[in-house]
Amino acid sequence: MIENGILTKTSVLLRGAFKEYYFKSAKTLEEPKKIEQREFGYSHFGQPGMVRHLSFRNTGELIATLVKEVPSDVYCSNAYYRFPTSPMQDKEWTGADMIFDIDGKDLGLPCVPSHSHLLCATCGASSPGAELSGPYVCQSCGSRKYESSSIPCSRCVEGSKKEVVKLVDFLKNDLGIGPDNIGIYFSGNNGFHVHISDEAYVPLDPAARSDLVGYVRGAGLMAESLGVRKGDGSGTSIIKFPRGGIEYGWRSRMADELGINSTSTIKLRNIVDHAGGYSGFKMELDKKAREKGARIDPQVTTDIHRVFRMPGTLNSKSGLAKTKCSNLGSFDPFVDACLLGDSKTIVKVKSPVKIKLKGKAYNISKESAELPAFVAVYLVCKGLAEAA
Amino acid sequence: MGTGDLAKYPFLNEAGEYMRKSGFGWDELGRPDMKDVIERAAQRIEVGVAGDVYAGLDKYEIEILTFIVSLIMVKAIALEPVLKKYALAEARRAEKFLTDDLRKQSEPLKRSLFTKIFEDLFSLKIEMAESDTRLFKVKVTDYLARSSHFHEQEWKLINRLVSHGFVYLDADETVRLVRNELSILIHEKVRAMALPTLPTTIRDRAEELRARFAPRYEYRVLSANDLPPCVKHALDVMDKGENLPHSARLMLATYMLAVGKPVDEIVAMFQNAPDFNEKITRYQVEHLAGIKGSRTKYSVPSCEKLRNENLCFATQECAGIVNPIQFGRKRK
Repeated sequence: MIENGILTKTSVLLRGAFKEYYFKSAKTLEEPKKIEQREFGYSHFGQPGMVRHLSFRNTGELIATLVKEVPSDVYCSNAYYRFPTSPMQDKEWTGADMIFDIDGKDLGLPCVPSHSHLLCATCGASSPGAELSGPYVCQSCGSRKYESSSIPCSRCVEGSKKEVVKLVDFLKNDLGIGPDNIGIYFSGNNGFHVHISDEAYVPLDPAARSDLVGYVRGAGLMAESLGVRKGDGSGTSIIKFPRGGIEYGWRSRMADELGINSTSTIKLRNIVDHAGGYSGFKMELDKKAREKGARIDPQVTTDIHRVFRMPGTLNSKSGLAKTKCSNLGSFDPFVDACLLGDSKTIVKVKSPVKIKLKGKAYNISKESAELPAFVAVYLVCKGLAEAA
Repeated sequence: MGTGDLAKYPFLNEAGEYMRKSGFGWDELGRPDMKDVIERAAQRIEVGVAGDVYAGLDKYEIEILTFIVSLIMVKAIALEPVLKKYALAEARRAEKFLTDDLRKQSEPLKRSLFTKIFEDLFSLKIEMAESDTRLFKVKVTDYLARSSHFHEQEWKLINRLVSHGFVYLDADETVRLVRNELSILIHEKVRAMALPTLPTTIRDRAEELRARFAPRYEYRVLSANDLPPCVKHALDVMDKGENLPHSARLMLATYMLAVGKPVDEIVAMFQNAPDFNEKITRYQVEHLAGIKGSRTKYSVPSCEKLRNENLCFATQECAGIVNPIQFGRKRK
């Protein structure tokens, strides 16, 4: 968000809406397990950086701080510490929940340019569409620096959900994690966080988590795991199914994909030859495995000291809340996570925009518009409007 | 498990228990008929230090005693590299027996006796696979906690048989999973041992071994000429006040820690760096030393890793080494 005279008014608008939410939000904030062992942090509207190394004994204490400080974003560590308020090196890490992050913007969905806007990084002016035919020049101030702002559409949400479904399949069927230990949350903007509360995963170090990340992403599958080895001559290969068989996990997943079982030596031989021998098959297998894998952000899951947006708090990129999805299929973030009030708010809209929130479509073309607070806040958070 | 098996697994608590029950005391180590056991123990250590596996498998009473005496002697030799090599050799010896025993036992009850070793010593619960009697299953998290430190791609979870929270392994793989822990177990047994006043026979033999091994592990005093070229290059770049990549800084700090440089001196080496901040550098060096943060002591990156990161400036003197720490080691 750009900070200047006008946007200070905007900050006031956002703070007002967020304050009201936190004042009434006692029920929607989910108290993290072992809250007293977590590190909390938050950011302020219009200010860089984050206030970190905070600790709360219960949600009551936390809500009191949120109402008083009205942060733009609130974070809680996945880690458990003996001394959460100490500097990093003295906190004494005792474990961390495992969390997966699926971010809609990383999925490369083709619909994104059609619902994106370019925002001038200097004056905040907006222009619809995200594809540039030449170098960007702001029509208001001539600046060449810009940011992109996207209003996710239903295809974006469905794209992210599809990845969540793939991830949950790995978690349940391969890793044996019970459904009660898998929490799916809408991130508050354009993605999902999947929290694992199974205690067995808490002590794992980054190397072990990184191995798990590779597993769910489908990265690093060896042709040998399917029984295809390199032969002596160039391009030659040897087919011999592994001792343990190919009935479980990735082996079974890829066997299904290739239409083979542990008796189909000849069929596998044909597939390998068709792919151009060992190396060709290896490349093809790798490609197929990555397609089958879930597109999670690898950095997030391996980080055991990270702070994550806290469930039930608002995301300043949208004004929507990080919300638990009890039924992913029917979950609609623009309804279920849109929790701000509807008091009339007048904003200056920078460029015409179409959105649908709480089940109602808004087609806003006027420069000055009186809108329900949840719509006004959404547009302001997206950089597409400012306080009148 | 029968008493005969204790000859193969003399590190089990049951072996110590057996010795206690049989009324064996430290003072008996000085008896003249112990000479043969002491000689066997010395051989066991020599074989281990040479990187081989001691093959002797005599009566269990003798093997248990030999093992105990060899632990005492390794402690008395008091050379860390000897202890490390000996511990690894003992682990590999047990690994061989354990693999055979797991593989051969067709009766589920007998098999479960061997799987109990894993549970007792390493808190690793192993179950037999329902579908295939040749396979064992361990929990995914127990597997990951161990395998993630193996470098081979085949140990990555994605290349394993994984189903409903378990990883399926054959006997060899199951035992391989705990090799490091076996070695640590023996290492720790020796470290924690308080030596009694030793009979002259054991003390003299240990002294003799120490005199033989010690020169192999002496390092020359560190001088600029003894530094491996990769470290020298990093110091040169630092001297010029140029920016050194993170990976090169890590190599420099871990190398200096490994040769015993004090943290203060290592921090001072970085003061020419354009972005030098003493507080941050100190924390990072202490983190690498295992004093702060994760408490893991970082080792010096291997030559292979340095080559991949374009940090290797090998000279002829580097021939035959796989880690910069081996550079300049003087073997007499």
